[in-house]
Amino acid sequence: MRPTLVVGNGPALFLSGTDPAHLLGPFPLDSDPKQAAVRFDAMARSDVPTRLLSALESIPVGVTLVASPPRLARAISECVGRPVASPSLEDLRRGRAAVPLPDAALERRFFLALGHLRLERALRAPEEVLITLAREEERVERSVGREARAADSFVSVPDSPLDLHLVAWDRARGALGDLEDALRRTVEKEAKTQVPNLSAVVGARVAARLVAAAGGIGALARMPASRIQLLGSRRRPSPERGPRFGLLYRADRLADVPIGRRGAYARSLAALAAIAVRVDAHGRRDVSAELVARRDRRVEVLRRRRR
Amino acid sequence: MRLGRDFRPVKGSPRMLEVARAERRELWTEAVGELPPVHGERWTEVQDRRYRIFEPGRSKLAAAVVRGWAGDLPAPGERWLYLGAASGTTASHLADLVGPEGRVYAVERSVRPFARLLALAERWPNLRPILGDARDPLAYSAIVPPAAGLYADIAQADQLEIVLRNAEMLLRGDGARVLVALKTASMGRHRTATGHRDSAEGALAHEVALYASVSLEPFHRGHFLVGGRWGRASKMPARDPSRPTLPLGRRPGRRAR
Repeated sequence: MRPTLVVGNGPALFLSGTDPAHLLGPFPLDSDPKQAAVRFDAMARSDVPTRLLSALESIPVGVTLVASPPRLARAISECVGRPVASPSLEDLRRGRAAVPLPDAALERRFFLALGHLRLERALRAPEEVLITLAREEERVERSVGREARAADSFVSVPDSPLDLHLVAWDRARGALGDLEDALRRTVEKEAKTQVPNLSAVVGARVAARLVAAAGGIGALARMPASRIQLLGSRRRPSPERGPRFGLLYRADRLADVPIGRRGAYARSLAALAAIAVRVDAHGRRDVSAELVARRDRRVEVLRRRRR
Repeated sequence: MRLGRDFRPVKGSPRMLEVARAERRELWTEAVGELPPVHGERWTEVQDRRYRIFEPGRSKLAAAVVRGWAGDLPAPGERWLYLGAASGTTASHLADLVGPEGRVYAVERSVRPFARLLALAERWPNLRPILGDARDPLAYSAIVPPAAGLYADIAQADQLEIVLRNAEMLLRGDGARVLVALKTASMGRHRTATGHRDSAEGALAHEVALYASVSLEPFHRGHFLVGGRWGRASKMPARDPSRPTLPLGRRPGRRAR
């Protein structure tokens, strides 16, 4: 016996039997498309339309119930107390072909609501917050630096109109600098909570920027150390004379290494950073003390060694 | 029909115009939405209809048409599934081509491009954005009706597996169109660009009767647009789902010359 299938058309669900002509429905998820989007996204037990459930009750126990997506199958299974399987490709295609198209205006509002819902949730994820903050902090830092350089190029006579303007401008820049400091503290706090080991090895701000440049903690954890070393570098890598650092140029303790040895330090640091971020991504154990000790030992070795 | 200036209709595509320039063809699609421009493109008015320039440097579909795409294009009133819509540049032109009665269901996985796609959909009435992963078509199978065509622009090593999985589940049936923009640079370095195209065509040929394939040089280096109709594969043996026939993942090995 062919299974009975539950298929959707966006804001509503349908019940399709052996013969597509025996289509039951629609069972709207909600009369309001916005609420329908919320229900479709959550698809908990309480989101299955009651009328659909009563229609399901009339189906004999011998008939297999199938539903898709899997979340809907699970929710229905919980409601009716019967196993609900995933449909075969053929059944899914048959059911989809039988279902009528949704009303255009209703469908549009449903999709836009679903998009906003999912986008907002994705942007609230801690990792996305860290990435967004780190990018913004980088941008603000660049603009503050540009303003500072621009102001340096002016020479003015006291109490001249230009001087009065520059004084006012200085005050504005001071406010901008405060904003930058506050933003930096927020970024560092986020980095220390989300990637504590990496923050300890390279510094919280660089850690945040590395995560942002890689596009996520998981993406950074999948990178080899050699790529982490060059993340954010502008020049093209080449076997002869490529860049030695990208974002790591501003890592903690790089300044303590003699100039000629910094490339070597960047290599070791990138290797430690790769270990650190993998622990942050998967284990969440605190290995920072060991990694920092290894980093500092490396700094000492490079300081002593002659070229 | 007389159009202003040098505008000419494009054969087989009623919502597109072209201007033959000395250096190359210039394409325009009839806008479904309102100004402002979607991505800074030029707009113009021809006989009370508003058209937007369809730039081959911005869009692989436009590049394919300029390079002499032999297959047909999305027609008015059709529903298309678009995988890898990013911020919606090409998706908006595809939506123009299918017109107000058609639909474009645009799937994008990355959050930030999706934010722009969603903002575009707010003012492009026939565009339906989906924040989701094209690797899991079941997740959006309940909200995408059977589609007349599938356009995929996903630079992933397993892009053809993704395309086939979506096509068999969500396309209307035999005869539905499948257009795949291949980015050979993301398919590994064990083959040359044309080698990748040939192997991709071979992989698609099990399920799709291919009818057109063009290189998108010089607009997009190492890219191809390959198209066909679903389910009319004639002499090729059917694909055995238990045995992946697509050796398309990255493989270690010597870089192809």
